[in-house]
Amino acid sequence: MHAAMVDAAGTPLLSLEGIGKEFPNGTVALRDARLTVHPGSVHGLVGANGAGKSTMIKVIAGAHPPTSGVVRWKGEEIDWRTPGAARKAGVATIMQHVPLAPTLTVLENVFLGTGGPWRLPRSRRAEFARLLERVGYAIDPDAEVADLAIGERQMVAILQALATGAELVVMDEPTASLAEGERQVVFDVVRRLSAQGTAFLYVSHFLDEVLSLTDRVTVLRDGTVVAEGATAGYDEDRLVQAIVGRDLLGVERRSAEPVAPDAPVLLSVRGLSSAAGVREVSFEARAGEVIGLAGLLGSGRSEILHAVYGADPRASGEVRVEGRPVRRTPRAAVAAGMALVPEDRGSQGLVNTFPIWKNISLPDLASLSSGRSLPREPDERGRARRAIADLGIVCAGPDALPTELSGGNAQKVVFGKWLYGGARVFMLDEPTAGVDVGAKADILELVRRFAAGGGAVLVVSSEFEEILAVATRVLVVREGRIVAERAAHETSEEELLMLANGFGEGGAHDAA
Amino acid sequence: MPPETATARRSRWRAALRPGNAGVVYALLLIVAVLTLLSAQLGRPPYLSATNIINILDQSSLIAILAVFTTVVLISGNFDLSVASVAAFSAATVLSLVAPLGLPVAMAVALGAGLVCGAVNGLIVQLVGINAFIVTLGTMTAVRGLVLILTDGRTITAEDPGAQSSLIALQAGYWTVPHVLAIAGVAAAAAGVAVLLRRSRSAGIALLVAGVAAIALSPVFGFELRLSKPTYYLIVIAGITWAVLRYTVIGRRLYAVGANAEAARLSGINVNRYRIGAFVLNGLGSGFVGILFAAKLLAINPTGLQGTELTVLAAAILGGTSLFGGLGSVLKSVVGALILFTLDNGFNVLNLGANYQGVIVGTVVVVAAAIYTVAGRQRQVKRVRESSKPQVPVRQEALR
Repeated sequence: MHAAMVDAAGTPLLSLEGIGKEFPNGTVALRDARLTVHPGSVHGLVGANGAGKSTMIKVIAGAHPPTSGVVRWKGEEIDWRTPGAARKAGVATIMQHVPLAPTLTVLENVFLGTGGPWRLPRSRRAEFARLLERVGYAIDPDAEVADLAIGERQMVAILQALATGAELVVMDEPTASLAEGERQVVFDVVRRLSAQGTAFLYVSHFLDEVLSLTDRVTVLRDGTVVAEGATAGYDEDRLVQAIVGRDLLGVERRSAEPVAPDAPVLLSVRGLSSAAGVREVSFEARAGEVIGLAGLLGSGRSEILHAVYGADPRASGEVRVEGRPVRRTPRAAVAAGMALVPEDRGSQGLVNTFPIWKNISLPDLASLSSGRSLPREPDERGRARRAIADLGIVCAGPDALPTELSGGNAQKVVFGKWLYGGARVFMLDEPTAGVDVGAKADILELVRRFAAGGGAVLVVSSEFEEILAVATRVLVVREGRIVAERAAHETSEEELLMLANGFGEGGAHDAA
Repeated sequence: MPPETATARRSRWRAALRPGNAGVVYALLLIVAVLTLLSAQLGRPPYLSATNIINILDQSSLIAILAVFTTVVLISGNFDLSVASVAAFSAATVLSLVAPLGLPVAMAVALGAGLVCGAVNGLIVQLVGINAFIVTLGTMTAVRGLVLILTDGRTITAEDPGAQSSLIALQAGYWTVPHVLAIAGVAAAAAGVAVLLRRSRSAGIALLVAGVAAIALSPVFGFELRLSKPTYYLIVIAGITWAVLRYTVIGRRLYAVGANAEAARLSGINVNRYRIGAFVLNGLGSGFVGILFAAKLLAINPTGLQGTELTVLAAAILGGTSLFGGLGSVLKSVVGALILFTLDNGFNVLNLGANYQGVIVGTVVVVAAAIYTVAGRQRQVKRVRESSKPQVPVRQEALR
């Protein structure tokens, strides 16, 4: 593609050597990681969730100082302590959620970081016109950013990066929420600018994009580089192999055989749609089943769970638990025996001012209360102690606050909320995100226990290995629809990754 | 399952008495002590006299009642600026209706008006989704406008002698509780028996003994409590509200809704119901305070109670209520109101000149908020440090 621009012998624009990053809570996000980006190249960075991509970007952007290792910029060793320092040197980072000022115009946003006493000097317009010409894109400089589509905002962020004179643009999942047409615009701009000499570090879950857009690619797994080289030497299969690896989590693959066809149907969903991006989803879950919802970031997996649970008021369709229709509110869902372990436990799962025991009793408080109105504190504490013992929650006791716990232990508290209240349909949204390896195995064991106890479980995860480790059946989600269904013992991570990417029989996805 | 140990219970008591938690009570004691010393020094009548205490309690009771309900709204994660306007509206309503319709009907209409105002606030905030600050700023102004319409810009007074006497009966005068020590003793003994039945031996026996001792001593040390009627209203309202928040499912869920509405919603709690309920309660409470205010002055002018909403909020903030929801205690808000009126009263008693009062009160509020914020932050850091230290070796073991 731009192989001519990649002068492997010349000084690299950016190089990371032996980078390690350990967080104060003991999580090791990167160990001995390396990365070399040459001027004018498009460099792909791929890896599963939690492989360390975001940490690496943050190290480059100066947001996280590395614990060990050397970062070189144009051959000189540097030590960026703030994002401002990195930006000044010529590294612009575009995060997933584009941080623009929505009430200002495009022009003002693009030159937000540029100084000067006046709000809008005339020369800016000329400069803006030159930028647009360089990029090969047209946008009204006086449009308010709040009125723009997400794709256009992405372009404004790119223009902003260029306006600061960036030589390296880091893009984190730039296309995760873009429509097909908008993606093409981003790709065209990236190609055009890299031909002019701007380097890109392109982080994406979408392997098709990485393959068609990048010159070189680096694959991270568990915080280390497991593969790197010219993209031309890779195809989907090889990338998938590298991303998935063989022996990573130490999670035993123990996908059960499908449940008996006469097992009672606990949950049935018919024609569920929502403005949040759920389209005509129908499925059934039987007692004893663990159904994995496999899909990429932004595929609508979480939205499906929220719609089933009644947490999405815009959803339409029918949800029945044990044959009885459920009204569309979380309250009715809880009463019907559904339980949701949400994706973001801090903001959706736990009340941080409540000690563990108050959190655990919250969904089932009435049944722990005299006359369903006066909570019996000893019983609540008893339940919390039971959960702490059953789930192996490491904490100072039932009075500890959730904020004092590690990610895995906090997640176990969220599980504890639903364990003893008679819930039968469990919906788990990324239950192991941000959880260390040991706790991960515990949590997966818990999922198996839910099912073994006669419940039905829906698990959303972007780590397909994990889905295969627990699920009996896998539904592949893409663009809010269920595009394929597989029995877990008949499929593989590679096949799921292909299906979720839109390769294979599920309908070809053409990004090139 | 092992019953809770005595040490755990003791450590919880100790936590409740820490300055970060009970600071407002210490502040009140400090202010009272300083004022007592100062008035003795300056040769004024003794500050800590029964008359003066009864006076302060009576003066602060209306604001304190408003602060109780405002605290409920703040705990639920909302904000209400309209309380003073609603109270004034209720006062105007009751004063204009008491002569033709009699007090009970007039009171019912005034309470209903307060309830409607609260419901309007709650429905707009929760169902339309507009920020509570903006909505209640609007209703504050609009309801004040209703007061102007109702009074036609003039002061309304209750001139009918029958109406006057029924209003006075509502609020003026004192009730005396005799044999307080004996009553407290009986209550303590009953509580002791109840605790004994629920298995906690030592605490139950202690309460029982204390109760019996109090009954035995009451002929010698017994005293009577003589407080104004509004003070009793305050005690009953604050007591019931505190108990509901502390001991019932409703209270627990209200705190959860305020602290993390999304987590509460996904746990199956109807967030809108609780938040609208808090507004309705606040409207009703404002209506009640408006009636008491009318009964006290037997008149309301169109600007009556203007600015009181800020005093009420100051009381709640002094009591450590968070403006972001999920944290707060109605009893501490009552103490906050007492602080404001103790300062007020102290300025009068010491004849310090009312000019300095605003500066002092404002400073006290900001200092209190600063202390809460800094203390809360330090406690969090300390707790994290304490709990993260032993965790490393334990974790290895637990996961094996």
